[in-house]
Amino acid sequence: MRPAEEIKDLLKNVPVNTNSQKDKQVLDEILNTMDQSQNAQPAVNRPNIWRIIMKNNINKIAATFIIIAVVLSFLAIDRLNPPAWALSDTIEALKDLKAVYVVGAYPGGTAEIWMRSNDSGSHSTDSVVRGSQGAITWTKDGSTYHYEPGQNTVYFENAITLGLSQWFGPELLEMFRKADNTEIIRGKDPATGRARVTMICSMIDSNGPQSWIIEFDVISKLPVAFKHWQNLDRSGQPAFEAYKITYYETLPDSFFEINIPGNPTYTEKPLTIPDENVGALSNPRDGVSIEGLSQQEAAEKIVRILYRAVIDQDLDQLKNIAPLCRNWNDEFLQEIVFKPGKDDRITEIVKIGKIFKTGHSKLGPIAAVPTEVKLHNGKRVENKMIIQFRRLGGKSTCVVHGPYGLPREID
Amino acid sequence: MLEDKLLIWKFKLGEKAALARIYEKYKNNLLRMAGGLSNQTSIAEDVVHDVFVSLAQSPGQLKLGGNLKGYLATCVANRIRNSNRAAQRRRTVNLDEAESSVKDTNLPESWIIRNEELDKLNFALSQLPYDQREAVILHVQGGMKFRAIAKSLNVSINTVQSRYRYGLEKLRSLLNSEVIK
Repeated sequence: MRPAEEIKDLLKNVPVNTNSQKDKQVLDEILNTMDQSQNAQPAVNRPNIWRIIMKNNINKIAATFIIIAVVLSFLAIDRLNPPAWALSDTIEALKDLKAVYVVGAYPGGTAEIWMRSNDSGSHSTDSVVRGSQGAITWTKDGSTYHYEPGQNTVYFENAITLGLSQWFGPELLEMFRKADNTEIIRGKDPATGRARVTMICSMIDSNGPQSWIIEFDVISKLPVAFKHWQNLDRSGQPAFEAYKITYYETLPDSFFEINIPGNPTYTEKPLTIPDENVGALSNPRDGVSIEGLSQQEAAEKIVRILYRAVIDQDLDQLKNIAPLCRNWNDEFLQEIVFKPGKDDRITEIVKIGKIFKTGHSKLGPIAAVPTEVKLHNGKRVENKMIIQFRRLGGKSTCVVHGPYGLPREID
Repeated sequence: MLEDKLLIWKFKLGEKAALARIYEKYKNNLLRMAGGLSNQTSIAEDVVHDVFVSLAQSPGQLKLGGNLKGYLATCVANRIRNSNRAAQRRRTVNLDEAESSVKDTNLPESWIIRNEELDKLNFALSQLPYDQREAVILHVQGGMKFRAIAKSLNVSINTVQSRYRYGLEKLRSLLNSEVIK
């Protein structure tokens, strides 16, 4: 008698051949059906563009991931001091995890995120967020794109506004630990019995107010779940909740190649800053005078002063030029911005470029300007800064709002 | 699995190439399943055709995380069950006709090209009670876990497992008997 395995094998593999003409006929029919169903979608069901782009939506996930980048204002940080509680062999093991897959929910849908890091594992290089409603956000060649299927439009900006400049790992937790308002709670996952560290933190950065609950696995030091709110008190529904995070050694290029069907319209996203940050930029004592200067001259002047303050490790000047830095404690700023004694500290301003994008905040005009800087290790990095121009008390001045997206290494 | 997830995403975005790939990837297995469940080639072809048409009608509404194969298998099983219920109500096909339809010669417009091995297997499957046949086919050909089958049939997991066990045992016996040979 034939064993059960053989019967199962027969059930699985019994040959089924089909009439190729009929195959094609059915395929044509279902493809036509798909065409018709898409054309028949009522316009009323298509989401409003600004609700999609600016409000509760998948695009906020970009903010979820960019937060760490904007805290690490000036460049991708390689490593902070080794955390006392991190095991060196664990860190060694984590060096091979250069890709991540995150599944989570945002108000109105779910999203899946693929991300991979650079060779040294310090920051992300490629990111893709796919929303359940068909929207996609991805990065490519220094730009960020957001596809809205309902609008058949790709919104883009010439900055990397999606990604991590501290890759997942023990350093990420350590970095958060140095921020103000951070609480760490130890406990056990009731499902698996494994020890967990839950971290609760909040801060204001150039994306506005943010708060997080991040759950780390104690053994691997890796985040296993997190929630993110765009307010300081974690009120209301999270902007994004990651309930599954899977780490990989690598992911193929094909995961990051996005081919948008049809011929979408490409529209540049406007340059904006959060309304919540305007107050911090409104102190007339901050910033530099720009009387009689063009916007370009003013931008070059303040960016030069900013980087000079970084190179000279002048904390007071830094806070005066970029007032949002006052939201973080001195230790955090020293560690993240100045990096004394580290190879990746900024040592030289190479070039300040032309203003490439302008916009308006409640306070006045804003502009984005690129700057190329040289690091102590010889590498060169491009940062884009947003400058806020203002007229307060009858005087024209400007301040730096913060970075526009992630820094970019220059080959 | 990863390919399926990407296919689902692309399909939801309206990429016709993704639907074409899903079709190419799963049509034969779905036809195999539908043939085994329905005992009638024409019904099997209609059901698989309808499953794909239904899928094509609502790419944006598909709520599916990962297991595309299991999802399609459940769609086929549900439609076959509905078709069986409708047939029972109409009582237009008696047992003799049903059996003869399994052994129908190939019609020019037929989608499935019949072969002896497939016919033998489908005939053996047709000897099983429908519940057992369904459990065996969904688990082995549809790649579904017992838990998922139990959920889709709204029965307990133990029920599904025993249906599967009895069904597989009977199938072994049938396929080893002289009648089949």
